[in-house]
Amino acid sequence: MTAGRPIPSFEGWRALVVHRPHANVDATLLQFERLGISAAHCWPEMAGDTGLSQWNVLVIDADMGYDGQFPWQPGAAPMPIIALIGSEAPGRVSWAMNQGADAHLLKPIGSAGLYSALVIARHSFAQRTALAGEIASLRMRLQSREALAEATALLMVRDNISSRAAFQKLRMQAMSERRAIELIAEELIAAVDLERKQR
Amino acid sequence: MKPGVGPFCFLGVQMAGESVIPIGILFSRSGPYAEPGQEGFDGAMAAIDEVNRDGTFPFSLDPVIRDPQGNTDRYAPFCREMVGQAGVRHVVGCTTSWSRKEVIPVVEKMDALLWYPCVYEGFEASENVVYVAACANQHLLPLLDYIIPRFGRDPLLLGSNYIWGWETNRIAREVVTHSGGTVLAERYVPIGDSDIAHLIAEIRAKRPDFILNNLIGSSSYAFLRAYHALGLEDPSFRPESRPVISCNLYEGEIADLGGAAAGHYSVSCYFQSLQTEENRLFLERIGAANRTQPVTAFFAESYASVLMIANAIRSTGADAIEPVLSAVTTEALPSPFGNILVDRRTNHVAMPAHIARAGSDGAFEVVHEAQSAIEPDPFLTRTRFGVPTNDQSEQDDKSGFLRVVR
Repeated sequence: MTAGRPIPSFEGWRALVVHRPHANVDATLLQFERLGISAAHCWPEMAGDTGLSQWNVLVIDADMGYDGQFPWQPGAAPMPIIALIGSEAPGRVSWAMNQGADAHLLKPIGSAGLYSALVIARHSFAQRTALAGEIASLRMRLQSREALAEATALLMVRDNISSRAAFQKLRMQAMSERRAIELIAEELIAAVDLERKQR
Repeated sequence: MKPGVGPFCFLGVQMAGESVIPIGILFSRSGPYAEPGQEGFDGAMAAIDEVNRDGTFPFSLDPVIRDPQGNTDRYAPFCREMVGQAGVRHVVGCTTSWSRKEVIPVVEKMDALLWYPCVYEGFEASENVVYVAACANQHLLPLLDYIIPRFGRDPLLLGSNYIWGWETNRIAREVVTHSGGTVLAERYVPIGDSDIAHLIAEIRAKRPDFILNNLIGSSSYAFLRAYHALGLEDPSFRPESRPVISCNLYEGEIADLGGAAAGHYSVSCYFQSLQTEENRLFLERIGAANRTQPVTAFFAESYASVLMIANAIRSTGADAIEPVLSAVTTEALPSPFGNILVDRRTNHVAMPAHIARAGSDGAFEVVHEAQSAIEPDPFLTRTRFGVPTNDQSEQDDKSGFLRVVR
């Protein structure tokens, strides 16, 4: 048996339900209340002046939601999204996915289901955000691979050392300055360039 | 629960020596889609009348009628009232998918059955709904199979701005793409909007091979009239060259449109003009000759729904939903669109897809009479999307476009 995840806390969370007034909204708000999460609802637009940062989770309507309904690019929501799905038609499911829905609940909304959707949405959103950050950083490092190779070669010639020793030198400097090795490499290349020009 | 009307009562309430079984009739006979609602209502009432006059049913049906007037929010309360207060176990009704979605939670919670008698987009299979209605593999796909080889594969897609139009156009786009064609444009107008001049201008500029019309009600009529006017002005926009095709255009509508719909195509499980013996008998039974309105698929599907309910109650001895459902999945019943047996897995029925061309006299001329019914595939998980070549199309003519891949 694997160790379970810690019991998630939603203390201080605020939720916004974007859905036309309906029994499904009442049921969703009631579930939020039971979970101790304060929730509000609006339709069709999110009130712009209230600020997006106050919401920790967004509940959207896959049935009547439309492109351009939210003030961000599809899939770039700054918070977890739970989609309420009534019609399982592929067009509607696809719209919810394009919005970046991290979890969903099938209508009609009853007295359960929101808690698990919330836990899953929060986890997926955190994972999605972390992965996006990691991919961006890896992409940057990939782009600097050429700089690292060039800096290693420069050191080999300048200091008459092996490639292993040259790389080690760059690595030690990065570690002591607590900066990325790629940045150290780029700085070295720039410095050597400058030296050549000044000669 | 009222005594004598619960799921386990035998043949309903005793009244004046005859047992009476209440049956819910939930159609909007006014509002933006009043016409199909009225036809569904008429079909249900004709069948109730037939059952009540027929001495072989040991009970009579008592219609409990509610008219939501096209207001989606009224369907659920009306249905709750029928089931909770009037003791109804079977509700025949709904035209739009939105209204059906409102009723489903009620019937699921209150142990009742909704009999839905209207063509729809599919992607649903509730245990508490019997879909006496064609889904996309039984209407749109056979229609495109017929049209694309004859007119071309570059359409323009139109729809009223709700799920019927969105999903039907989405499926059409998939078929067109799989067939190597291009969707030249996909446009929506709000339900009830008849301002469509911009659509005509776009059609004129883009010259599509055909136009798939998923507009409903007044928008559809306004469009067909305007397109007819364009055809009078420029012959290359006449139906012989660039037809309008619909999955939801019926007899009453083309009669009201006069010549404006003439030459355009529709697909349906039923047309009044079908030259079959069973249709002749059906029209005779319901006294079609004396009706002021034509008989449509909405009428026929509603009519068949009530007869299915009545026959199942007669053979099981009660109106409880499980035995009734079990009876309609095991005993085929003749209907205006062939013998119907409910598919146990999906609660849908196999249906033929006839294709017809509207005449200037308000009647449809059936140009392709399906020889067999198409099995329902509401989630399109067993259906292929490409349109066959001309050769295959002719072969399919013989097999009645059996598209479901087993």
